[in-house]
Amino acid sequence: MKIFIHTSSSRFQFLLIWIALVILSVGCSKDDPKKEDTPELITKATLTFTPTGGGTAVVVSATDPDGEGVQNIAVDGAIDLVMGTQYVLTIDLLNTLVTAGQPGYSITEEVEEEGDEHMIFFSWTGDVFQVPSGNGNIDNRGDAVDYVDLDGNSRPVGLITTWTASSSVAAGTFRVLLKHQPDLKTDTSGSAVGETDLDLTFTINVN
Amino acid sequence: MRFLVSIIVVFHFTLLVKAQQPCTQSVAGRILSASGPLSGADVIITSVSKGSATNDHGDFVIRDLCPGEYVLEVRFVGFETRVITVVVPQSKPVELVMSPESKNLNEVIVQEKLEQVDRSANYAVLSGTQLQETAGKSLGESLKALPGVSTIQAGPGIFKPVIHGVHSQRVLILNHGIRQEGQQWGAEHAPEIDPFIASSIVVVKDAAAIKYGTDALGGVIVVNPAPLPEKAGMGGSVNTILQSNGRSGAVSGMLEGGVKNFEGWGWRVQGTAKRSGDFHARDYSLTNTGIKEFDFSAAAGYHAEKFGADVFFSHFQTELGILRGTAISNLNDLETAMETEPPIGTTNFSYAINHPKQQVAHNLLKINSHWERPGGEWHVQYGYQSNFRKEYDIRRGGLSELPSIDLELRTHTLEAEFETTNAKGQQFCFGLNGMYQDNRNVPGTQRIPFIPNYTAISGGPFAVGKFPIGQWTLDVGTRYDLRSYDVVGFDFSNTLYTANLLFHNVSASAGMSRKFGQKHQVKLNLSSAWRPPHVAELYSLGTHQSAAAIEYGLLLNDSTNRVMDISEVPFKVEQALKAVATYQYTTERIQVEATVYSNTIFNFIYLQPRGVTTNIRGTYPYFRYTQTDALFAGLDAEMDYNLSSRISLTAKVSLLSATDIRHDDYLVFIPSNRFETGFRFSSSSKRFFVQPKVSFVARQFRAPRVITIGEFNDAIENGTDPLGGSSKNFDFMEAPPGYMLAGLAIGYEWLVGQGKFDARLAAENLFNNAYREYTNRLRYYADDIGRNVSFSLKYTF
Repeated sequence: MKIFIHTSSSRFQFLLIWIALVILSVGCSKDDPKKEDTPELITKATLTFTPTGGGTAVVVSATDPDGEGVQNIAVDGAIDLVMGTQYVLTIDLLNTLVTAGQPGYSITEEVEEEGDEHMIFFSWTGDVFQVPSGNGNIDNRGDAVDYVDLDGNSRPVGLITTWTASSSVAAGTFRVLLKHQPDLKTDTSGSAVGETDLDLTFTINVN
Repeated sequence: MRFLVSIIVVFHFTLLVKAQQPCTQSVAGRILSASGPLSGADVIITSVSKGSATNDHGDFVIRDLCPGEYVLEVRFVGFETRVITVVVPQSKPVELVMSPESKNLNEVIVQEKLEQVDRSANYAVLSGTQLQETAGKSLGESLKALPGVSTIQAGPGIFKPVIHGVHSQRVLILNHGIRQEGQQWGAEHAPEIDPFIASSIVVVKDAAAIKYGTDALGGVIVVNPAPLPEKAGMGGSVNTILQSNGRSGAVSGMLEGGVKNFEGWGWRVQGTAKRSGDFHARDYSLTNTGIKEFDFSAAAGYHAEKFGADVFFSHFQTELGILRGTAISNLNDLETAMETEPPIGTTNFSYAINHPKQQVAHNLLKINSHWERPGGEWHVQYGYQSNFRKEYDIRRGGLSELPSIDLELRTHTLEAEFETTNAKGQQFCFGLNGMYQDNRNVPGTQRIPFIPNYTAISGGPFAVGKFPIGQWTLDVGTRYDLRSYDVVGFDFSNTLYTANLLFHNVSASAGMSRKFGQKHQVKLNLSSAWRPPHVAELYSLGTHQSAAAIEYGLLLNDSTNRVMDISEVPFKVEQALKAVATYQYTTERIQVEATVYSNTIFNFIYLQPRGVTTNIRGTYPYFRYTQTDALFAGLDAEMDYNLSSRISLTAKVSLLSATDIRHDDYLVFIPSNRFETGFRFSSSSKRFFVQPKVSFVARQFRAPRVITIGEFNDAIENGTDPLGGSSKNFDFMEAPPGYMLAGLAIGYEWLVGQGKFDARLAAENLFNNAYREYTNRLRYYADDIGRNVSFSLKYTF
């Protein structure tokens, strides 16, 4: 590479120096990246079945230990309901990577606010409910689920629902499916429409 | 349409009137080949844009010339272009014997800096008529016309070029002599180049592009502009293209000239605007596949005998919609999306581009210069590129307006080289390249960045030589490269991590070529190239646009997701050993070129399916970047056969087999075998042509096993491993069946005064077939595009 040094002209050197300056001036403006808030992440979902006639609520939750990481979610138990009892089910969604109280911590609020593009669908097995009857509305939007909360277009959302446990002993699974349906939610849009924000399956027992 | 025609007609007459000059001289002559008169050769006087074609006796006449000196250019397919000077009035007719073309260096020279492809390199060129045929298409789609080149697609607007089965990081793109640096790691990140800036595009299929640094494991794509004018005067062109599918329109204009009284100075400005709405498959609209593109470039330069310098700036900007039906979350969504036809969210045609979409901008500034000194020539080149990529998904919580990925990539490149030739005709070139690159996530995406921030510095010296040895020409080259990364990112728990990495290695190539008589030529090339890993391959984390899969980088721990140090994994840099042999047979009637190749890539990095993971949103398959050894072997062949002076037959074949040789497995998204054949019927003047074409794409039988989503769900329900305990590659869907497409093009060109019009009417997928292409990611969700009729008109002056 000696060749370079011997024949380099002043113009060439000038160009090199100029380019070095450009690189320095542009390249040195580096600092540590800013931490992003991650409001979309749901790391914890809690289902609370409160008996309408009073009594202890049944609470189960599913927790994601590592967000986008490879570890599976952990469910802390089965939903144990009492025969013939009517419950109000409230669903609470949290992003525990955000500090409690900060915006983005409660995903429930967001779903509420954007009710017109969200809907929670339910399905269950083992005839665990007296009311509604059937197996839920994931397979068929028209099937019975007793929604309490409605969006701005008077369509169901599903953060609050009512359920009456079977009058006899029963066991099965209970699936909760939250769909994001921007510009897609209609009176008939089913569970196949839109992107999934939440899809959880719990074990359910009625005793 | 009628309006357009009337404009053309009016234009036509205006120019005719303008052409009424008192010049009545003419140039006449005869063009011959070794075996007799050559009919249909183009004879052109570029300075006044007049031309003619030879008749059956090889005779031509160009009329209405003023007295003076003219440069005559004679062109004929398969022959070397000849340039001669004639004085008008003529003392005797021109007589010229043309010699068959040996596809040599001349085609590949870029203005001052010899962007030269070695004589023994195996390459294909897209220029002239062929380039005009692809006008209005993206760079990747244009290159499909070349044997051995195919694409991977993410819908009708996003094409990435694939050379001999490999793409992205393994294909180097040189735009105006500068390594294109964008976010090329993503399979749905197309090259940010407007093909209208090119006068030729060369695809080098050898592995080591010694002069340009690392990464060219598959090959190099060289985008060449025409040389800048050096004499006073002005010229230019306007190109308009209308297409039925997507109801798209594109306009591209170019103006160039020299500067009066400043010999050697030249300039060029160029711009392209393109707008397309939703494309259409045979049976339904492909909702949200529109394109909005706007590009411009400007160049200026000075060229004298011993010194030359150029400045070039280009801006590229595009907005691309991604099929609405691909906006999915987990496995069940994917299953629904695959089963639903027409795709979910399909609506009527619209020009609107909604989420999901990409917005990409790319700027390039280049300054280059050369000096001829005693003993040799110096070249120095500096390039600055800035690349901005925003990807928008459908998001909750009013976040859709925020990009999910927002990246800024700034790259400086600097190159210096010295070229010299000794008395024995041996050529040497020594040089040095350096690159400084900064990748930054623009804050505000409200998501953990998919790839981290990093600074990369790389560079190295090289030496290449060319030696005539008897009948053979030998090309050898070697280089040493170093790349360092300074990485800062956030892991799954949103905790900061940093890393410093250093890679270095040597590349080398050797090639030989030889002509046997006038008809045969053989080229052999053996090259060894390496590639430092891309940061995306090491640290990716998360779900990527339209893929219901989570991707993990090589350095993320299998069970804890912790970012590991590179010393904790058995990582080795990717290295390729590629052997390519080409045979050419060239006569007036037949030109045949056949290339066979074998490319073994050791420590090949790819996304391997590993299993399923559940989070609150449901079940996802996950993929991890892994290393294996892969073998790509195949054959490309092309034949042009002139049945008569007016009818020619073309046939092309590209065959490829790609295997994971470490695990005896197939790789996914490998282009299947394809064949193309066509006729071209020309009028005796060569001004008019009709060109029917048929292409057949075979089904990809060398595809990995299939695990359907139904099987996935059954396994999850039964608590078994859906991958059957095997880390063999898989695909969610069978490879689609093979398909055959017909096309037809009709063209006419005519000279008007100082200018030339080129009109073309073409139909692709003439019979409006419904089909799916294996290498198009859209194949999971929707058919490929249906019939497309396009009309293009080019005016050159």
